[in-house]
Amino acid sequence: MSQEVEETLKRIQQHKGVVGTIVVNNEGVAVKSSLDNTSTVQYAGLMGQLADKARSVVRDLDPSNDLTFLRIRSKKHEIMIAPDKDFIMIVIQNPTD
Amino acid sequence: MDRKAELERKKAKLQALRDEKDRRRREKEQKDLEDAKTGAVAPEKDNRKDLDEMLSSLGVAPVSEVLSSLSSVNSATSDQLANETPEASLQPALNGSGAKAKKSQALSIIQVQVTNIQPKENVVYTKQTQTTSSGTHHERDVLSCHSSPMSGLIEDWWRPRKAHATDYYDEYNLNPGLEWEDEFTVLAFGDGQGDDEDHSLNMDHGFHSKLPPGILPHGLPTVKEVAPAITPQEQKKDGVKLVKELSDEQKQMIILSEDFQRFVMKSGKIMERALSETVDIYTDYIGVSESDEGSDERTNARLSLNRVFYSEQWSKNRCVTSFDWSDHFPELMVASYHNNEESPNEPDGVVALWNTKYKKQSPEETFHCQSAVMSTCFAKFHPNLILGGTYSGQIVMWDNRVQKRTPVQRTPLSSTAHTHPVYCLSMVGTQNAHNVISISSDGRLCSWSLDMLSAPQDTLELQHRQAKPIAVTCMAFPTDEVNNFVLGSEDGYVHSASRHGNRSGIGETYEKHLGPVTGISTHHNQSSSDFSHLFLTSSIDWTIKLWSLKDTKPLYSFEDNADYVMDVAFSPIHPSLFAAVDGSGRLDLWNLNQDTEVPTVSVVIDGNPALNRVSWTPSGLHVTVGDESGRIHVYDVAENLATPRIDEWQRFSSTLNELKMNTNEDIEEVEKKTPIPQQPSSLTSIPVV
Repeated sequence: MSQEVEETLKRIQQHKGVVGTIVVNNEGVAVKSSLDNTSTVQYAGLMGQLADKARSVVRDLDPSNDLTFLRIRSKKHEIMIAPDKDFIMIVIQNPTD
Repeated sequence: MDRKAELERKKAKLQALRDEKDRRRREKEQKDLEDAKTGAVAPEKDNRKDLDEMLSSLGVAPVSEVLSSLSSVNSATSDQLANETPEASLQPALNGSGAKAKKSQALSIIQVQVTNIQPKENVVYTKQTQTTSSGTHHERDVLSCHSSPMSGLIEDWWRPRKAHATDYYDEYNLNPGLEWEDEFTVLAFGDGQGDDEDHSLNMDHGFHSKLPPGILPHGLPTVKEVAPAITPQEQKKDGVKLVKELSDEQKQMIILSEDFQRFVMKSGKIMERALSETVDIYTDYIGVSESDEGSDERTNARLSLNRVFYSEQWSKNRCVTSFDWSDHFPELMVASYHNNEESPNEPDGVVALWNTKYKKQSPEETFHCQSAVMSTCFAKFHPNLILGGTYSGQIVMWDNRVQKRTPVQRTPLSSTAHTHPVYCLSMVGTQNAHNVISISSDGRLCSWSLDMLSAPQDTLELQHRQAKPIAVTCMAFPTDEVNNFVLGSEDGYVHSASRHGNRSGIGETYEKHLGPVTGISTHHNQSSSDFSHLFLTSSIDWTIKLWSLKDTKPLYSFEDNADYVMDVAFSPIHPSLFAAVDGSGRLDLWNLNQDTEVPTVSVVIDGNPALNRVSWTPSGLHVTVGDESGRIHVYDVAENLATPRIDEWQRFSSTLNELKMNTNEDIEEVEKKTPIPQQPSSLTSIPVV
């Protein structure tokens, strides 16, 4: 099973245009990352906050609703966030390639 | 510690004073109350001076200090507010002094009253203490210093607080009982009886009225505000610091936790789908446009490669043995694979769930078992279950709801079930009454209930004349049929058979192919005219034959291929269209209404892999082809080819009649008509009839 996890993450990481993959736990700690430590901590902290905020926005708008996916398009990257109860998966890709 | 001692001393002194003045206080109690009313508006300066003087004369210096440190502005009114002093014993003495002061002022109040109201605007206590002492402060300090023997000490304990306002608060928080009691005594006015008055007074002053009775008006609000303002920040900082501290071991623990794995499997799948989405929503049509020739070409092509399903890990070097499409999710396809001879450590049997909807390169799910999977199908009425027939003879069942990749159920290997490879597996019946039908190559047919795979519900030996078992290679049920079916065998015979009734077992035997039958497909018949008797077989003898259940002779034999024809499949939506694949890598589409002698479209797959299986998507717009190396090629069929026109059924009837007549007339004539195999490129230009 853990082998499959590794493979899944590897597959994502090897996908064309993917810059980095980070899995963050609900405390904002990066559990797995393909980026260097500094950017991992930065992404983990900021994206965790953003996902929390986005989730609370969605829930405030409709209490029966919940956040399932968050995509951010910027000039340089696309950041995709898949939030869950206990973890958040962050994938940064370079969509222009 | 010093301060405590000092306070103790002070308390003792005050206690003494209290006793002395107790008597006097009671006498003047009524007067005091009256004074309070008037004193509320009394000029604060005079008031304080008098107070200080009086207190200093009594040897109680701190009053002036305390007052100055507290908002001088509000001191006059606060006197009345602070009547609910926690320590009642301290009140009387000061009350007495306060009373005195007020009593003396009583006459002069009214004139100065006006000037003193304004300072109330200085709301915050801290500002007062932090700013360098104003003129009045000095005055008082000096006064107290001179007049009181204790003044030196008092200054000592008081000064630092003025200098460091926050320290002061901290101290207060730590032991409020000590600090505030002292100040209270100064501020305290009257006893319980003063309550009503205070309230009425409080109403007059907006600032004070916010405070509940009994709580110190001065400084206290700021004390409360300052403390919480600091703590959340500190907590946050603490939190951030904590975040960084997670040892590798802890991380490993998390990674190995089931929650984490479930999360990665789930989110990873979504992420892959998202990543594979190549549509660029920022297409700029105003900018430079690229030439669209490529896509034009594609739309013109009648058969174009859409994508290839291939997994390096799971399908490499594994022959595709069967396909099935999900009834619940038309985009899902399950494919079974034979074993990979190059990696004996991998499980022999693999089935993969592919999704045609997303451009994700990896399978949705993969399952495996110990024996090569020869046939697979979805459990028609259950979206989560997948069945597989294995080389060992077991029927296995996987469930995509569980994390397990190995079968959740399997049938036993026993003489009551299959002991030979199961090449045929399908589900027949309705929502409420359905069975899994499996046939092994020794000719045994078993019916299973999904609820009980431990033993077959029913078994049937499929035997040729002379009790010779039939080595079944393929089977098909005509549409909506649960009892009768057709099967192809290794010796080239094609049989019809039925599961139940007094003629259960092999019924009709049809004229034979010259080699083993590899594939069989029944007509999908979705219109009024009845074509359900039609079926196709493919064989290693290089031919495809069209049969009718009513006739033991083939209606037609398609002899265009120059290799083993491995599989054949009728289109699910078009009455006269079928696909066939052969061992040379050729995929043919035949539209019998257009031509019966050469395929309508034919493509050779890159690398000429031997193709083993072909099937249509339920929509009828795509053809999937499985090859020997584990690749599944998905081809788009041009819409004008794939979708039937209204008259297609009628025309197919007449085509069939024609074929029938031809076969009856002369077989040789048919053979003459059969042309030499042609190159696919020339075939694509055949005009639509």
